[in-house]
Amino acid sequence: MNKIWWAIVPVLVILFGLLGYGLTSNPKHIPSPLIGKPFPVIEGKDLNGNKVTLGVVNGKPTVVNVWASWCAACRLEHNVLIRGSRRYGDKISLVAINYKDELADAKAWLRQLGNPYLWSFHDLAGRAGLELGVYGVPETFFVNKQGIIVEKISAPLTDAQFSAGVALMSK
Amino acid sequence: MIKKIQKRLLMIAMLGFSTAVFSSPVNEDPIERQMLDIAAKLRCTVCQNQPVSESHSGLAGDMRNLITEKLKQGNNEAEIMQFFVDRYGDYVLLEPPQSGNGTLLWVLPPLLLLFAMIAAVMMMKSRGKNQTSSPVATLSDADKERIRLAREIDAGESKNSKETQ
Repeated sequence: MNKIWWAIVPVLVILFGLLGYGLTSNPKHIPSPLIGKPFPVIEGKDLNGNKVTLGVVNGKPTVVNVWASWCAACRLEHNVLIRGSRRYGDKISLVAINYKDELADAKAWLRQLGNPYLWSFHDLAGRAGLELGVYGVPETFFVNKQGIIVEKISAPLTDAQFSAGVALMSK
Repeated sequence: MIKKIQKRLLMIAMLGFSTAVFSSPVNEDPIERQMLDIAAKLRCTVCQNQPVSESHSGLAGDMRNLITEKLKQGNNEAEIMQFFVDRYGDYVLLEPPQSGNGTLLWVLPPLLLLFAMIAAVMMMKSRGKNQTSSPVATLSDADKERIRLAREIDAGESKNSKETQ
């Protein structure tokens, strides 16, 4: 009789352990399979109609931020990006993907809140977004000089996350 | 009579003719069907547990368009599914994969059931064993004497009752 409990108790402990892990982990955090993979090279146009290419920009570690004027959370994180661009200056390239947005709205947004980006890739149809596994804005990719995605944040960025991402890119 | 039958036959024939004319075959785009089949297996990543085929969200629409586009380019279902898995992870699949981390999900429930059954059988067996092997209460000499007396009285009483009858 007692011998059976020696088998049952560990199984129960493991099951409850898994349950506890499932209940305490964040269901909204979905690990990106893109981390460690090369950032896809995508050509397109910026908000002014100039040709731009997503990927490593100017040979520097590159932060790619996905935003839209219709996205409330993007407004929250905008100051983080402005502070980040001031802090790291030309050590990094900060570019953006303007995701499923009207040109006029996007331009007005940047005029109002300030433009920390070198340029914003205009992704009207959301094709670049699909290519990058974007499922919501804002999202931010940290790409090292070799073009490898070292970090992806699928939430409004914090100052700490920005710094941590830059540290990862510079490794 | 014959005329009546002829009339009826003609009517039946015309009925057949009319359905043939009015029912045109449903124009279903095979690519559309294929696209929906694939989309039904993909999770709309911005919704709560809804397939891409049923969601009205913008992202699901984009994904459907991309599937259609890729089908027209000649990509097969496996290639298209892989495209999404590469970018969104296994999470995008509504049915967890039967390899890698997903194996655990498929293997664990039957294993647990088997374990529970073995445990149940073992428990029942040990319970049965306990009952047979538990020491049988032994009667003391005094008990035996009391039983003997009780039986004697019992036998005497039944004799008496028979006699009075």
